[in-house]
Amino acid sequence: MKTRPYGSPWPFAAIITNLAFGLLCAPLGAAAQDTLPVPDGFNEPKGFIAEPAQITRAAIWADRHLGKGDLTNGFYVERGKMIPGAGWLSAGPGYRKWFGRDTLLLDGSAGISWNGYKTAQARAELPKFARSRLALGAQVRWLDYGNVDYFGVGPDTGESALTQFGITATHVAAHATLRPTSWFDIDAQVGVLSPTLQEGPLVSATTADQPTFIPTEVSMTIDTRNFPEHPTKGLLLRGAASHYEDRDSGAFTHQRVEGEMAGYLPMAGERVVLMVHSWIVSTPRDHDTSVPFYLLPSLGGSNSLRSFADYRFHDRNMLVANAELRLAMMTHVDLALFADAGNVAARVHDLNLDKQSYGAGLRFHTRRQTFARVDVAQGSEGWRVLFRLTDPFALSRLERRAAVVPFVP
Amino acid sequence: MRAATIVLAAVALSGVSCAGVGRPQVENAPVPPGASMWVEPADLAARDLYNGQWGAANAPDPKDVYDLIERKHTGVNLGMTVKDSKGREWSVKQPYPGNLDSEAPVEVVVSRLLSAIGYHQPPVYHLPAFTLKDDFGRHVEVGGRFRLKTDKAKEVGMWDWASNPFVGKKEYQGLIVLLTMFNSTDLKSSNNSLYEHRDGDLVEQWYLTRDVGSALGDTERHAPRKNHVDSFERMPFILGVNNGFVDFAYKGWYKNLVTERITPEEVAWACNLLGRLTDQQMQDAFRAAHYEPDIANRFIARLRAKIQQGRSLGLAAARD
Repeated sequence: MKTRPYGSPWPFAAIITNLAFGLLCAPLGAAAQDTLPVPDGFNEPKGFIAEPAQITRAAIWADRHLGKGDLTNGFYVERGKMIPGAGWLSAGPGYRKWFGRDTLLLDGSAGISWNGYKTAQARAELPKFARSRLALGAQVRWLDYGNVDYFGVGPDTGESALTQFGITATHVAAHATLRPTSWFDIDAQVGVLSPTLQEGPLVSATTADQPTFIPTEVSMTIDTRNFPEHPTKGLLLRGAASHYEDRDSGAFTHQRVEGEMAGYLPMAGERVVLMVHSWIVSTPRDHDTSVPFYLLPSLGGSNSLRSFADYRFHDRNMLVANAELRLAMMTHVDLALFADAGNVAARVHDLNLDKQSYGAGLRFHTRRQTFARVDVAQGSEGWRVLFRLTDPFALSRLERRAAVVPFVP
Repeated sequence: MRAATIVLAAVALSGVSCAGVGRPQVENAPVPPGASMWVEPADLAARDLYNGQWGAANAPDPKDVYDLIERKHTGVNLGMTVKDSKGREWSVKQPYPGNLDSEAPVEVVVSRLLSAIGYHQPPVYHLPAFTLKDDFGRHVEVGGRFRLKTDKAKEVGMWDWASNPFVGKKEYQGLIVLLTMFNSTDLKSSNNSLYEHRDGDLVEQWYLTRDVGSALGDTERHAPRKNHVDSFERMPFILGVNNGFVDFAYKGWYKNLVTERITPEEVAWACNLLGRLTDQQMQDAFRAAHYEPDIANRFIARLRAKIQQGRSLGLAAARD
């Protein structure tokens, strides 16, 4: 987990944020005689109603034991890092160690989920080249997902089309990240991806062996969110272009471009937060090649269209927009009202927001992290109740540990 | 598969729980020359609890710019190592985001109180905020406890609550009483440091408790409140005396340290010692950690009540 310093140390980012969302930066308090004033954003907003002591203690426990992110050396519990479809709970052991005054991080972890998804990863990060302007890293990831839902291609597939596929993959990657400021980075990544499909309704013995890909990606990210795993103010802008080179036959070589934004507008002393998010993904059509179904953009589930099943829709292009209003009922429990809309399409200009979800939920969180949520969503395919251990917009795709297969909305 | 998942999660989560502490054993070997845990505070009434025993000269400058050396990678608190413009290195312990039960000011208060009555302590101070310079420039950072890294007092190891040269001695028993009085919950041995203190040619070994910020709340086993005056006021100190030993209300993981081990006389010794501090000195200790006066006064009033209870216990035992 990245943890930002308090206050507004990114003046340009603050300007952008203000222009885009009209965010009001609270002035720093009056300077004391002999000490500096505590920066804005230090204290946690109190809720509208008093919080029972048990909830506060649960928040303290979660924050102390699960909330420090990547900073702590030693063994840790890998928790809640799985993709949608893995089930509500995933856990496993991990170990990390920082060396040389934060110049090298070695990290390894493994996890298993409620639905039997398995992952393992090891990575090395060198974040402090050129006075932290350049970071280099390498990672190997392995995954084994036994039963990923799939409904076919297109926006009009029926729920009855549900089938499942299993996939295992190894992904070895290296990256370089240029970071001119603390809130802006340009990242380039190259790797080798070796997926294998498990035989099943979708996959025959002849198609189980998938090509080896050389995925490369270049992305730019502006990120001024105060706490990435429980943001209450700030802005995220991201653009990415990737190329998947099929090293076997070339038949599945394809490109993908993405644009994403998320903004958080605090009101009433951060006791009310309006979140807006949108994400568009396109795999441009090439008449000579196609895209493996597990790498097609997909939509639906706990992080996108919450009243629809995970991975409910697949096609070459995807658009989703979300709005969520969070009210701090208690200090560590928010009531969330949300609306999701989006769709998939074969062509970009056919994208629309016809698939819609509405609902409400509760968030259990501390200042820096959402630890659990319950969402009740309603849409054209009925009601869904979701319980997850992450923020709906934690945007795990920004983390190094996120899997690249299958495509995860 | 699901059962395996649950077992795996349970095993993984169990790793973050506390293991408690073994029952202390009195060692018959003499205390090594130059080793001490406590020194009689002959000048107690004159001691400055705002700047502490290490004085203003060793305090961090609130207006200085501190260079980031590295982030803190141990424990549950956030923090970092920084260097000031004089080249002095500081270990900074910061509050949790949201300032929920922050340990940093507690550590400074408890350290001030302990050092004032003769227990060795490292040089610790509190800054609410400070200017940090990292690779991306300067910004104001939330402060916390600043502990000076100095050659005059250098950590050279740790000591175990269960086995050390002072087990059973009045200063050891008294230290446990005091930490219990403060509702210290994190009494693991890894928070005990062996320091090498140099004063000219004189080299001493100091047995001290460090990282004493998990206090001034209650002592529940799971998620104890810290730095929480309501809980501190609510929680009892002493429940009674059984078989000649004091029955403390302490509920934490380290109950072995206080169960059927401390006599009323030992409680009275510690309470009398702490009770020699004036209200002004106690207020200075809380002022050093930037407490609001009304909150500080509530903590002090509760401490005074505990001191009185401990003294009464000692008097009653003497009468019997």
